[in-house]
Amino acid sequence: MPRAIRSPREPLLDVKEIQGNILAGFNKDQQLLLALTFRDIPAARRWLRRIAGQISSLELVNEFNSLFRKARASLGSDPAGMIATWANIAFSHPGLAKLTSVEDANGVPDGSFQVGLPARAATLRDQDPGGSADPTAHWKIGGTGNVPDVLLIIASDSISELRKAEDRLRPNSGDGPGEPQLIWEELGQTRPDLPGHEHFGFKDGVSQPGVRGRLHAKPDVFLTRRKLAHAAGKMQFAKPGQPLIWPGQFVFGYQSTDRETGDPVEAGKLKPAWLMNGSLLVFRRLQQNVAGFTRFVKDAASTIPGMTPERLGALLVGRWKSGAPVLRAADHDLPALGTSPLVNNDFLFTANSPPPVFLPGIRPPKPFPEAPADAHGLICPHAAHIRKVNPRDQDSDLGDQFDTLTRRILRRGIPYGPPIHDPATDDGVDRGLHFLCYQTSIEQQFETVQLDWANSPNKPTVGGHDVIIGQTSDQRRAFELLTNAGASTQKLTTPTQWVTPTGGGYFFAPSISALRDVLGVGS
Amino acid sequence: MKIDHFDPPGNIDDLGNDAGLKERWSKEMSGIFDDSIERVTQFLQSHGGGTCQFYNPVTGGRTDPDLVPSLGDIPWNGFPKRFGATGPTHPTNFAAAEPKRNPGQARLQDEYLEWHVNRNTADKIVSIHFTCEAWDYFEFLAAQAPDTVVALYQKFINPPVSHAQLKADLFPRETYDRLNKWNTAFGAMHLTHSANNLGAEVFLGASATVRRQEDGVEITQSIPLIRCADYGDDKRNSDPNIGIAVNDLAREKRMITLANPVGLYMADFDGAGITLNGNPAGGFFRVVRGAFPQALRAVFDLPSAEVTAGHSVSDVKIGGQALNFGGQLAERITMHLFGIASVDQAVNNAPMGCGAIPTTSAPALAAAAAAFPHRRLHPRK
Repeated sequence: MPRAIRSPREPLLDVKEIQGNILAGFNKDQQLLLALTFRDIPAARRWLRRIAGQISSLELVNEFNSLFRKARASLGSDPAGMIATWANIAFSHPGLAKLTSVEDANGVPDGSFQVGLPARAATLRDQDPGGSADPTAHWKIGGTGNVPDVLLIIASDSISELRKAEDRLRPNSGDGPGEPQLIWEELGQTRPDLPGHEHFGFKDGVSQPGVRGRLHAKPDVFLTRRKLAHAAGKMQFAKPGQPLIWPGQFVFGYQSTDRETGDPVEAGKLKPAWLMNGSLLVFRRLQQNVAGFTRFVKDAASTIPGMTPERLGALLVGRWKSGAPVLRAADHDLPALGTSPLVNNDFLFTANSPPPVFLPGIRPPKPFPEAPADAHGLICPHAAHIRKVNPRDQDSDLGDQFDTLTRRILRRGIPYGPPIHDPATDDGVDRGLHFLCYQTSIEQQFETVQLDWANSPNKPTVGGHDVIIGQTSDQRRAFELLTNAGASTQKLTTPTQWVTPTGGGYFFAPSISALRDVLGVGS
Repeated sequence: MKIDHFDPPGNIDDLGNDAGLKERWSKEMSGIFDDSIERVTQFLQSHGGGTCQFYNPVTGGRTDPDLVPSLGDIPWNGFPKRFGATGPTHPTNFAAAEPKRNPGQARLQDEYLEWHVNRNTADKIVSIHFTCEAWDYFEFLAAQAPDTVVALYQKFINPPVSHAQLKADLFPRETYDRLNKWNTAFGAMHLTHSANNLGAEVFLGASATVRRQEDGVEITQSIPLIRCADYGDDKRNSDPNIGIAVNDLAREKRMITLANPVGLYMADFDGAGITLNGNPAGGFFRVVRGAFPQALRAVFDLPSAEVTAGHSVSDVKIGGQALNFGGQLAERITMHLFGIASVDQAVNNAPMGCGAIPTTSAPALAAAAAAFPHRRLHPRK
């Protein structure tokens, strides 16, 4: 009989304190971002006290998500009547400093947060399309001189409910005089034609880490539901392809993951103490050039014997548009695989994937082709997007699979802008992704993935850039396709980038009590 | 791969037109390969047999096709893992990675990349010097061409002493002192850490071709493999990564060697976001010996106009953060070495149990080792 994972050492998460989008995820079809600046600190505090009770906790969001999943499983489709509307909030370093002190804001243990995204943009190889030396010169939000103090996230299953929540949550004259000023807002929406897919057409958000931690005092009520039996070794999975990671990688004040052993590492002391249960939020407004990507894939495929644009696109990403990994569907898409959550993320890179052993009560999925070992990237190229940003069991320049666990992020992104009508024709419409992710070290997590791996031609393993999100100073990126079982190679070079940052920021998402009792009150 | 000789690291021209010196270097390298192969072969024979999957491309070169070069290109980060961040609230300890060194003290930087920070009397950084040149190459040079060694120190360290005094400092009692003061307290001419040598690189590569098993299961992960085979330090970026990359190829039954010229190299430097007064300053990192992707030595300092204007390296920012340590730049350096593997997959060795391959000289090679005292196989410890 497969044995459930019983790990009483997993910490009890403070579900009433942690904001809900961090560990549970809103997962809504509409998500509005509002950027605000403070004009008057007493007015800002009045506003924060007014809305603090409307900031959604992990407890609320997770319980709704659980009910939603149960209803969907019972109905066989999304339960139309189940609607929830959530809000979360985060502060930039300047915003936090205004509400507390520079010393307290500098207490957030992350140098990149402290200096802010505009100072890091050049390091990330962001480029200004207009040629300015400042990569953020034309950003719509978050560029030099335009850094908001606050990022407010409102998400809902219903656009009308979202707008009502916006009315409730926006600063108003009752908070004033000098209430916080709205300087930018933008609505993100799942694609109506392809829910869950980004604008290039690929299913997004398939691979998310499983966060360890308990929701209740009972030892086996975990935040991340366990579907697999306990495996040999220290690498444990909640479901196939979803490794379990200690929560301190995403929320301050909890055990994090040792980069050499995967063992839990006790949290260091936080100063100020109210950083506990907080998290760091990276926001990037990533504009996507769908026509440019489509044209490249079509043109490049025509230069490779036997290649189709669809397959080349899958090789660049590491997945087919359905979400099916090329390691399990090397030659053509298997849409049923892409939508099978217990299979579509079940693969390693250097070893044959062991057959999963499910816990009692978990119905094994329909069988699909297994994932073979592919250490050299003969099936899934080393520079494929999903391999660059998560090398899984393959060693990187920084360490082994346990080090890679410490680089993982919790992605909460959503597309913005309408889907393109003809993917091969540029219609001039601004569309892309509101990339959002949570972690406790922007330097060691988001920036390492983007800077050290995606932007590099030779890391985490040699084989080219991540041509989906990787950035270089001249926009040209290289991608190596191995042919003839590794005896020869075909090198592709991209003429331009298809993903351009046009806004963003680094933020701290405090606990709900810190929002109410510290930031809303002042010292 | 089949070649007729080994070149000096990075094809550097230290050996000039001296054909005899070049031949001696090639024989030196070839001897290191042969020693490593002999030890691996003996290990295999004493554990049930097998064919050494590591070969000497000069004395045992292969003419069959190789895999594409990128499959043998093994990168790692130049900043020592042991001083890296260990969690969200445990940041990188840059200061610990570069304590002041005295003559006789090796640096603590153990990723085949070491650096020295020059500061002025106001404790401002004037320049940072990076090297990835193995100390056994310099010991060879010192034994064979001592004046070349003195000239290299004069060119790259530029000590404020006479030629005679410098030579006396480098060769006390007429023997080269690799931990002399100009390579420790006052500069970094070449690597000093005991593990940072070419012999260790070759021996690591050879040792990692041995397939390993534990409890009947073949090991396929880097850390379990290095702990089982004991060919290096599991707390480095380099050793486990090199080892598993080689072993991946060995498990595919291929023949493996290191590309000529054998060396540990700086592959590239990421200067993005490095600024001085808001202006790009990544270009202040200059390779001064070799060239990317086989760079041997680099310097980060300011152009004279900036110095005249009163600026120092301490005024430089990396992604908005002050540059206080050489390690902040070392983090931006990608190191690598080049392996070569055969397309042919014909060597079907059985996995061995755990235990290090002895580094003591095989009897047949003892005489040769005595003749070349600088040829030593050092485990990466």
